[in-house]
Amino acid sequence: MPAPIRLRELIRTIRTARTQAEEREMIQKECAAIRSSFREEDNTYRCRNVAKLLYMHMLGYPAHFGQLECLKLIASQKFTDKRIGYLGAMLLLDERQDVHLLMTNCIKNDLNHSTQYVQGLALCTLGCMGSSEMCRDLAGEVEKLLKTSNSYLRKKAALCAVHVIRKVPELMEMFLPATKNLLSEKNHGVLHTSVVLLTEMCERSPDMLSHFRKLVPQLVRILKNLIMSGYSPEHDVSGISDPFLQVRILRLLRILGKGDDDSSEAMNDILAQVATNTETSKNVGNAILYETVLTIMDIKSESGLRVLAINILGRFLLNNDKNIRYVALTSLLKTVQTDHNAVQRHRSTIVDCLKDLDVSIKRRAMELSFALVNGNNIRGMMKELLYFLDSCDPEFKADCASGIFLAAEKYAPSKRWHIDTIMRVLTTAGSYVRDDSVPNLIQLITNSVEMHAYTVQRLYKALLDDISQQPLVQVASWCIGEYGDLLVSGQCEEEEPIQVSEDEVLDVLEGLLVSNLSTPVTRGYSLTAIMKLSTRFSSLNRIKKVVSIYGSSIDVELQQRAVEYNALFKKYDHMRPALLERMPIMEKTATNGPAEIVQTNGETESTILDTKHLPNITQPASQANDLLDLLGGNDVVPVIQTTVPTKPASAGGELLDLLGDLSLTGGPTPTPAPSVPMSQPPFLLDGLTSQPLFNDIAAVIPPMTAYNKNGLKIEFTFERSNPNPNIAVITIHATNSTEADMTEFVFQAAVPKTFQLQLLSPSSNVVPALNQGSVTQVIRVLNPQKQQLRMRIKLTYTHKGSPVQDLAEVNNFPPQSWQ
Amino acid sequence: MMHFLLLFSRQGKLRLQKWFLPLPERERKKIVKDMTTMVLSRKPRTCNFLHWKDLKIVYKRYASLYFCCGLDNQDNELLALEILHRYVELLDKYFGNVCELDIIFNFEKAYFILDEFLMGGEIQETSKQSIAKSVEASDMLQETMEEYMSKPAF
Repeated sequence: MPAPIRLRELIRTIRTARTQAEEREMIQKECAAIRSSFREEDNTYRCRNVAKLLYMHMLGYPAHFGQLECLKLIASQKFTDKRIGYLGAMLLLDERQDVHLLMTNCIKNDLNHSTQYVQGLALCTLGCMGSSEMCRDLAGEVEKLLKTSNSYLRKKAALCAVHVIRKVPELMEMFLPATKNLLSEKNHGVLHTSVVLLTEMCERSPDMLSHFRKLVPQLVRILKNLIMSGYSPEHDVSGISDPFLQVRILRLLRILGKGDDDSSEAMNDILAQVATNTETSKNVGNAILYETVLTIMDIKSESGLRVLAINILGRFLLNNDKNIRYVALTSLLKTVQTDHNAVQRHRSTIVDCLKDLDVSIKRRAMELSFALVNGNNIRGMMKELLYFLDSCDPEFKADCASGIFLAAEKYAPSKRWHIDTIMRVLTTAGSYVRDDSVPNLIQLITNSVEMHAYTVQRLYKALLDDISQQPLVQVASWCIGEYGDLLVSGQCEEEEPIQVSEDEVLDVLEGLLVSNLSTPVTRGYSLTAIMKLSTRFSSLNRIKKVVSIYGSSIDVELQQRAVEYNALFKKYDHMRPALLERMPIMEKTATNGPAEIVQTNGETESTILDTKHLPNITQPASQANDLLDLLGGNDVVPVIQTTVPTKPASAGGELLDLLGDLSLTGGPTPTPAPSVPMSQPPFLLDGLTSQPLFNDIAAVIPPMTAYNKNGLKIEFTFERSNPNPNIAVITIHATNSTEADMTEFVFQAAVPKTFQLQLLSPSSNVVPALNQGSVTQVIRVLNPQKQQLRMRIKLTYTHKGSPVQDLAEVNNFPPQSWQ
Repeated sequence: MMHFLLLFSRQGKLRLQKWFLPLPERERKKIVKDMTTMVLSRKPRTCNFLHWKDLKIVYKRYASLYFCCGLDNQDNELLALEILHRYVELLDKYFGNVCELDIIFNFEKAYFILDEFLMGGEIQETSKQSIAKSVEASDMLQETMEEYMSKPAF
């Protein structure tokens, strides 16, 4: 059998291949030869074959059949074999293969070899890819080598120990004694790896951290020597002595000084010295300065030092080198929260970086700019940011737009400025704006009451120019629907009012409906807007026509809306004006910003129930006994939190039931209506359901037992309803201590005439036996005159087959529940 | 710590791959592909730093080879540039005016030099002379009668 071809021959041959297919063929042929050679257990050429295999592996071809051969090479006595064997192990094996465990014994032997380079190979392999099992087995050997006086081995053992600790943190203790004299070494390699080892231990264990704090003076001394010592050819990099070691020491000092006054004080001087004396003309000096700045910012340094650090970063920003500018921006972003004022001083430089050509720098500058915006600089900053939004790449536009909206919301100097800014964003980056900003903007516009005319006029003009940007179009159509009357009446104080007729407005909106550029959501917005204009404009016939046309639209959403609006014209025309009235100012609660506004909008809801829920009465306290008030009182704003039991779950028919049924104590969902003396139904709904259930704060009202007879116990727990303090929310808990369930359980309550009561649906009507569970039900009592609360309750249930009924008076309400 | 160090040509051919973390083969191939795509598509005068997943990527081009490494978030990027430069200097000293072909035909030697410089993603020796001496001594150990007679062992 001829000798297998040499490695370099193979490489040369493969490189002559002109196509991928040709290369693959050569490789397959060679792999076959190698495989048969392995099968023959040829010792002489094993090394050569594995080397070739490694080359082919780098080209991307499978080489797993060589794994065992690597082990054989490691076990060989020849250094050449070992070298290639260990290299193969590091490239082809990892801890996922069981094979790698077979290496453990070989490595153990090699760690004790007489030749240091063999020991070095073993340490290197263990330190790069040793699995947890291997590390556990061999940690003792590594620890032994950590104490040797041979610096070549000592430095490798230190890094190997780092790897062992990363893999098996529990073994950290074992290396502690060996670390005693590490820092007294003169050899830079050992010093460097020792600092890495100490860093790793301090990062992982607070105990180690406190233990090693005593090393701070020693570290400071070493650093000082490095800086002050003259030229050392062995470690010099562009005039700086061993920058790698300097940076590592600075990093360890950072960890040791963090949160500790004494240590921080001990390193103050050296940090100032490094910060001022380091050469900044080359990258290496700046690398050290960068690490110094990071350390100063993290420890408890005195303010002078911190200002020095930020100024270094400011100087970095002016550096020609892009890398340094990038690093400065990243660091400033980290410190802007803590040292805001110092960073503000460099604002103009940061804003200039927005114009940089480098994408990474632009992004960092943008993030930092947003962090620096405050009430004082908002106008100037916004100008720069809007300019940036105009000219930046699409990948930035969404984030930039969102950032601008947030900043504008927080710091807008005037409503007009705010609206103008929004308009600018919508017109320049309209298609990149996030979906949730549309409802936010609508809410904002609604709340700027005096700007309505101006806003709708500007939006209308923007629509005339361009209807391709959907968020802009959606906001604009919503506004036109709401404030179209202001638009045609030509009343605008902020700017020159435009003359536009009703027909022109309707032309624009209808144009949106038919345009290919409009998405289905946008079409929905415009149809609803057209509908709303039926109460604001006089051209009813045109609107009726449009609405009826879309009654047969292919788009189901549009069709449903059109059909419902049609029904509104035909059958419920008397309700239309009230339903389509102007929106009230929307409250933005902290919990559910966009979601609830979308709901209130009524735009995305398409059931008839919800269109009717367009709140038509602004003040919940209005007392008109009108049927429509009933509807209006069922104000949807916050109540559409999903778990509120008062939300009517079904469609249109329910509402008509509501209209027909004036004794509304059971709430909209069908529950057995308790016979409660009702005085003013509209007030009931207005007063109670328009208050958000979720703003109830658990006031400190003690619970009480209202009823306890025959094994049935009913407890009342109280909450005060916020914002209306006249409403007490009582939750009843009914438990059953007998051995039989109480089924068909119904709880009814009545209150004196001066009160009003609302009973919500119970959790169930079975009270399980032996206190295994309870039935809960919520009662809301309105007590405007703050009289003492009294209640008569009636309980009916079936127990052991026979019906039971009982009446009781509840008089022992705690005073806090009604005061 | 450094997670990996890759060397690849302007056409995206891999010349050296050193992994300091255990990753399955498929994962490694994906990272290599991502790195080559990202780095090769960078415009000429942009900065040498990138963000990829939760790693900092530092790359530098030396003649026809790209040197690319992945670092932890708290590592010093500017120093990483120095580390890459140091490695190139070591190769240059060893091969004498190193070029891509040297690394192609002597890839195993490039690995041996790297293993004297970095271990477990950290620097093990900061002195150029020290590393050069160790590699030379190891090479001497490899010599056999065959080598003396210019017949390479592999």
